[in-house]
Amino acid sequence: MHDSILTHAKSRYLWISIGLSVVSIALYLWHDPGVAPNGGTWLGYTLGTIAALIIVLLLLFGIRKRSYSTTLGSTRGWLSAHIYLGTTLILLVLLHCGFQFGWNLHTFALVLMLIVIFSGFFGVYAYLRYPTLMTRNRESATRDAMLEEIQEIDQNALALADGIAPEIHAVVLRSIENTKLGGGVWTQLRARDGSDIAIARIRAAIEKRETQLGAAPAPMQAGQTIIAMVDFLAGRADDKQSEALRKLIDILSRKRSLATRVARDIQYQAIMEIWLYFHVPLSIALLAALIGHIISVFFYW
Amino acid sequence: MRWLIRRVLKKGKSSISYEDDTHYGEILTIGRASDQAIFLPDLRAALNHASVTAIGNGKYRVESLIIAGIRVNGEITYSITVGAGAVIELGSTRLTLLDARGDYDAAVEVSSIDKSEQAAMLSKRKKPTSLSETWISKRWPSWLGFIVVLTLGLLLPAATHVVPGLNTVLRYSPLPSTAFWNPGEIDAAHQFFATDCTRCHQHAFLMVRDTACTSCHVKTKAHADPAKFNIPALGDARCGTCHQDHNGQRGMISKDQRLCADCHADLKDRTKGASQIADIADFGDAHPQFHVNLPGWTAAGEFMPKSMPWASGLKENSGLKFNHEKHLKTDGLNTPNGRKVLTCENCHQTDAAGAAMKPIAFETMCHECHQLGFDTLAPDREVPHANVEAVTYTLDEFYARRGLEGGYADARAPTIVQERRRPGSPPLSRQEQVEALAWARDRAREAARTLFTGKACVTCHSISPPAAGESTWRVAPVRVSGIWYVDANFVHAKHATKACVDCHEGALTSQASNDLLIPGIDNCRECHGGAHASGKVASTCIACHAYHRSPLLTLDKQQ
Repeated sequence: MHDSILTHAKSRYLWISIGLSVVSIALYLWHDPGVAPNGGTWLGYTLGTIAALIIVLLLLFGIRKRSYSTTLGSTRGWLSAHIYLGTTLILLVLLHCGFQFGWNLHTFALVLMLIVIFSGFFGVYAYLRYPTLMTRNRESATRDAMLEEIQEIDQNALALADGIAPEIHAVVLRSIENTKLGGGVWTQLRARDGSDIAIARIRAAIEKRETQLGAAPAPMQAGQTIIAMVDFLAGRADDKQSEALRKLIDILSRKRSLATRVARDIQYQAIMEIWLYFHVPLSIALLAALIGHIISVFFYW
Repeated sequence: MRWLIRRVLKKGKSSISYEDDTHYGEILTIGRASDQAIFLPDLRAALNHASVTAIGNGKYRVESLIIAGIRVNGEITYSITVGAGAVIELGSTRLTLLDARGDYDAAVEVSSIDKSEQAAMLSKRKKPTSLSETWISKRWPSWLGFIVVLTLGLLLPAATHVVPGLNTVLRYSPLPSTAFWNPGEIDAAHQFFATDCTRCHQHAFLMVRDTACTSCHVKTKAHADPAKFNIPALGDARCGTCHQDHNGQRGMISKDQRLCADCHADLKDRTKGASQIADIADFGDAHPQFHVNLPGWTAAGEFMPKSMPWASGLKENSGLKFNHEKHLKTDGLNTPNGRKVLTCENCHQTDAAGAAMKPIAFETMCHECHQLGFDTLAPDREVPHANVEAVTYTLDEFYARRGLEGGYADARAPTIVQERRRPGSPPLSRQEQVEALAWARDRAREAARTLFTGKACVTCHSISPPAAGESTWRVAPVRVSGIWYVDANFVHAKHATKACVDCHEGALTSQASNDLLIPGIDNCRECHGGAHASGKVASTCIACHAYHRSPLLTLDKQQ
């Protein structure tokens, strides 16, 4: 069976986490501190210490995954432990605090920790789901290869269009300008190539110009280079031209499918990365909250 | 109109030459068609791609003639008015619009963009394709989060410990104060200084000292002398060992049985015999029979209760004669005020705290029926209760006055006593006075004897006649121990849901006052069990016993 991050080393860390959870729950149920369960009993201190050490271990993963030379376990093993121990933390910390919450630094640290962990859950989901989608989407090409092919198609399309009619050449030129892959955070996440805005701008400009010329505004569908060509084809092409046009439509279709796939590739990659922009800074903030929590508790012991 | 078209020709690496050309016409056309003013043999240009019109004042109007638009100053546009210096890029050609010069009305410089520059421009125009190329970052939010959380969560509240007054300022500001550290609600009794952490937490990184507690709780008694009993756990115990705050308003009194049982389970061994208290670990199954305090007196007559284990059938000697059954008849008693049914509450009433029973009071509980009258001719007159000497005085004085005033309608009395004296009558002669007072003394003694031995006192009390040569009757002392179980805090009011006889069994049928109607431990265990009892009221030690009960030591002095 494929050894995923969840099943690494025969799910070693899953079993460690289950063991830790079962022991913690058993201790919590058995322990009778005489007062309401809280972080200040011996079990509270014990669970708190374990949880704090686990948090430090999970934070070290950020260092470990950058240390390519180390031999201290595989990155995959560390990630597997990171996921399972991180999940176990929810239980350990809830038992540590005895389910006591308040508007204070301690509960703040807990909430931060939960946000970090749940953002991590999204990361697990993304790492399990998107690599497969990404591979399927690329159809065994690389993104660079797809981009190169788009450039080649652009060159060929221009040459072809030039042999047909100046209007077609202009449409192809516009198509090249409009193909903008990538963009801001939102654009990447929504798999937009940004052409919609450009198209709207172009359409507005065309309408304006054609109104000035007194001609009826041509109904332009959003960025539909191909539709424009089909209009042309139906209108006034001779056999030779229509042959060339068909070829042009073929390669432009190919280009559009490539552009869509590149945009999707960028989207998948962005989804796989975006959660880290929450997970990592919040985990560092959690470290500060944890330091504050521990020091404040013993400051006013 | 004359256009100057200046072509820049690059020869080699740094050598540049210009080739000027003149174009006549209003409009400068740009495109791949051969009829264009600026002819660009580049597939990226349309046949008639764009036009530039000089509109005077050094301004030019650039218009795209195809739907792909034209890139002016880096932006795709369809129509734009620009000044000199504007740059039009089309394929590998760059057109720079210049100020009119010489006798030309307009000027444009045409240069080629080499391959490396084109690639650079392309990559510059390229949009980010990964998040790391966008503005978002992990590094600076991490630093920001770390510093903000550490400052607001730790450093600022900690600073209040060394900067006087800062905490007050922070509490009235939106910034976090030490209240942000408060792990749980403070006990209700401590709420009034809850905003001042240092009232209890006097030293940073040290547990709360007992002196912080005893600064208010000055009179709190210690438990026992740790030196005498040699129990380290007793000496090492802090106030906070049992009393932990920040656990809500419900209070800080720990009811944990182990706090007591850890030592008391084997106290004799633990103290090497210094303590003789029986081993106790759990009310339900490891608690000895109660020791009841029975009334007793020393040889000198001083009250000295005797403590002994409760046992079924144990007798007490309170000195009182009382028949419960007779008084608690269900069909009632004849009283001067009609028929009355008595219940326990008629005589046994709790104190204001609802805890113990108040002492029985003759005046309010017995007197209605048991009146202390002594003379049928004066039925309203009574002797006082409980003061034997006053009884004698009262009788002596009553009859002396009757004798001297006369008008006492008793056929057995001397004439002088029976005779009613009228206003204006001469005073009694010496002889008459002696006779009247002699009668009075005898009559008083007779009345006393009747009271003590006949109808009144002896009903409830043990009476001894006056010793030879004395006139004072002796009444045996009457007293119950008051608190039967001195070491337990029993509260009657908390048991108000039960009937009296549920615990005081036999009270309705007891005929003798020496029946001990106080229940033993088995009675309590019918409802109460130890800390882990199931199906019963789980009762730990402090349900009945107090911890702070040393007769000699207080916590502040012990420190």
